[in-house]
Amino acid sequence: MTTDTALSNTSRAAGEHDPVVDELRSRFGAEAFTLQPTLTGMPVVWVAREQLLEVLQFLRSLARPYVMLYDLHGIDERLRVHREEQPPADFTVFYQLMSFDRNSDLMLKVALHEADLRLPTITGIFPNANWYEREVFDMFGIDFAGHPHLTRVLMPPTWNGHPLRKDYPARATEFDPYTLTMEGQDKEQEALRFDPESWGMQRHSEETDFMFLNLGPNHPSAHGVFRVVLQLDGEEVVDCVPDIGYHHRGAEKMAERQSWHSYIPYTDRIDYTGGVMNNFPYVMAVEKLAGITVTPRAQMIRVMMAEMFRINSHLLFLGTYLQDLGAMTPVFYTFSDRQKAYNVIEAVTGFRMHPAWFRIGGVAHDLPQGWDRLVREFIDWMNPRLDEYERAMMDNSLVRERTVDVAAFSTQNAFDWGVTGPNLRATGYQYDLRKARPYSGYEQFDFDVPVGTNGDAFDRGMMRLEEMRQSVRIIKQCLENMPGGDYKADHPLTTPPPREKMLKHIETLITHFLQVSWGPVLKPNESFQMIEATKGLNSYYLTSDGNTMSYRTRIRTPSYPHLQHIPSVMNGGFVPDLIAHLGSIDFVMADVDR
Amino acid sequence: MQYKLTRIDPNTPEQTRYPLGRERGVEDPMDKHVHRNVFTGKLADIMNSAVNWGRKNSIWPYNFGLSCCYVEMTTAFTAPHDIARFGSEVLRASPRQADLMVISGTCFIKMAPIIQQLYDQMLEPKWVISMGSCSNSGGMYDIYSVVQGVDKFLPVDVYIPGCPPRPEAFLQGLQLLQDSIQQERRPLSWVVGDQGVYQAEMPSQRERHRDDRIAVKELRTPDQV
Repeated sequence: MTTDTALSNTSRAAGEHDPVVDELRSRFGAEAFTLQPTLTGMPVVWVAREQLLEVLQFLRSLARPYVMLYDLHGIDERLRVHREEQPPADFTVFYQLMSFDRNSDLMLKVALHEADLRLPTITGIFPNANWYEREVFDMFGIDFAGHPHLTRVLMPPTWNGHPLRKDYPARATEFDPYTLTMEGQDKEQEALRFDPESWGMQRHSEETDFMFLNLGPNHPSAHGVFRVVLQLDGEEVVDCVPDIGYHHRGAEKMAERQSWHSYIPYTDRIDYTGGVMNNFPYVMAVEKLAGITVTPRAQMIRVMMAEMFRINSHLLFLGTYLQDLGAMTPVFYTFSDRQKAYNVIEAVTGFRMHPAWFRIGGVAHDLPQGWDRLVREFIDWMNPRLDEYERAMMDNSLVRERTVDVAAFSTQNAFDWGVTGPNLRATGYQYDLRKARPYSGYEQFDFDVPVGTNGDAFDRGMMRLEEMRQSVRIIKQCLENMPGGDYKADHPLTTPPPREKMLKHIETLITHFLQVSWGPVLKPNESFQMIEATKGLNSYYLTSDGNTMSYRTRIRTPSYPHLQHIPSVMNGGFVPDLIAHLGSIDFVMADVDR
Repeated sequence: MQYKLTRIDPNTPEQTRYPLGRERGVEDPMDKHVHRNVFTGKLADIMNSAVNWGRKNSIWPYNFGLSCCYVEMTTAFTAPHDIARFGSEVLRASPRQADLMVISGTCFIKMAPIIQQLYDQMLEPKWVISMGSCSNSGGMYDIYSVVQGVDKFLPVDVYIPGCPPRPEAFLQGLQLLQDSIQQERRPLSWVVGDQGVYQAEMPSQRERHRDDRIAVKELRTPDQV
């Protein structure tokens, strides 16, 4: 634990003094880069478009390389007022790379001008750039030269305009009301028809005619509105094309018109089985912008509730995963346990799925009297249940037949495709952000990080089972060591401000009124927070332009790369294995399309 | 009781907006029969009640979900809430075998044509429950990619408020649907009787419970479990 903590402190302090900046300068010359000071905790380096590919290649082949393209997206800079120390740009595309050896990140930014929105594709270096580049094309209209299939990924193929541009209206009520006619329906359905040729697929081989099977967007084992088109030779999957965008709720655009405070409920609905786990990275990123230090009690309350939701989400996973494999009963057991978890969650937060309970600077209220009894009951209930699940479900020979050595992938493959969280750990690579870069006081807890060996569907199931045990351990430690003190930080930007103070004098009353009506104003800067969410690494990258609202909110979700990863695992497998794989990924579509 | 009559013209032109079919308010069609002939009127009445009773207690839902609400909907199907008490535990994976489509989640513009197709594939008699704020009205998602309420193109029988509604709220919505099915006047078969759908105008829950809700004076404090 001590080594991990030391590691995290160096990586956090790094920022602009990261050794990689010197490495870049000594290779490309000092004038090749502009360093942008931010609160993101990583170096933010502006690169010229012409040098982008070379720089990425260099970073990928360093002694301790940046192995994963963690995120790639854009910013429309045209209305941004505060752009001090940044090169002129109408649009920016940013590339966030992750190095596990260094345990640190690096962000590259490329400035683009309105008249010339072109970039070279980086799919040759990082294969998972594919969908990200398509999304940037979809949302901003930026062209990626050499991309293998640059089409819309989130919006329908018949869509007009690029929604994340600042001149694109956000509200549905700004457009004509939606209508659907019989011919309109035929047109839309025709546009969704799969065309194998456009994906470079053959309809026949020398021996066989391939069958194209359209699975989804509504299929009982697709876990939501997810579509995947399979090219089949008998029962063998020759190739497959996942298709997403049926669950795009425009959460990133929404952030540009909600105050910093009133956006919290929207974060709940990103990974909708994760509840307050989604508030976590958002409020922490806002607190970095505001300069708030959260009290130890608030930190531990947050950890406890986030772990409650991790258990809740993993229970849902376990039930549906086994149901996809054909087991009918487990879902009834795990949902009974979820009800037990909700008894605690409801008593503490007052809501079930989306409590939106974290606040900028703390949590919504203090723990209620008697919370400890409920939590203790839950812990006592869960431990024997998890042992029973392991015996009844994971030791089951049929489950093993269906999952062992099915859809297995290596750690390197996971890095290439941006796979994180339990799915990465199932490949045998121990990387848990709660240990590697502890946040909100995770360094105080004693827990283990389970790792798998094969990276197959079975290991991915076992990961979740073991993680639930560890979460129960963490909750138990919260129960035994809950510190006293305030549940909200005493800071002018804490929203809403502590109520006791508001009732004392007029100044604080006015502040309270302004914060809940207009919202707090945050200084112009950029901040970033990553957490170990239920499904993998989840992060919020916030850009403030000195306003009551965010200028740009980028939400990096773990499920998005996990779905993009499917063809690289499934090609050559069988249809039932694909179903087992889909069950073992643990994704929800809101976490993909946002 | 007042009824809403829906008739679908098989020769509807292609440019017609969904939902198809003309609706108008009518009197209970049974009354006419009763006045024409006491005996046949009563017989049809009994037949109707018997068929409705069967229909309402064996609503097979379609295994269809869009987003968060679907999790709460499936929670209602599992042991703690046990929807089997209301005869609706038979989840069907094919729309052709299902009676009820629960729009549980946000209705996206990209998804709307698909929802319409799935609805069209369901056989009569069929019902739609709109579950949650998003499918009721767009809810908190007044955003470019979301249809502001599934009733922009589907006929909805019951709206369940909430974001997401609790499983208990879903069960209550199901019971409200059952109540309205008991009052319905539908053809007893493909060939017998009037082929229009007469749906009873059910009382608004908001008005029905208004006085009770206002009468609540003591609210539980959140400081205790």
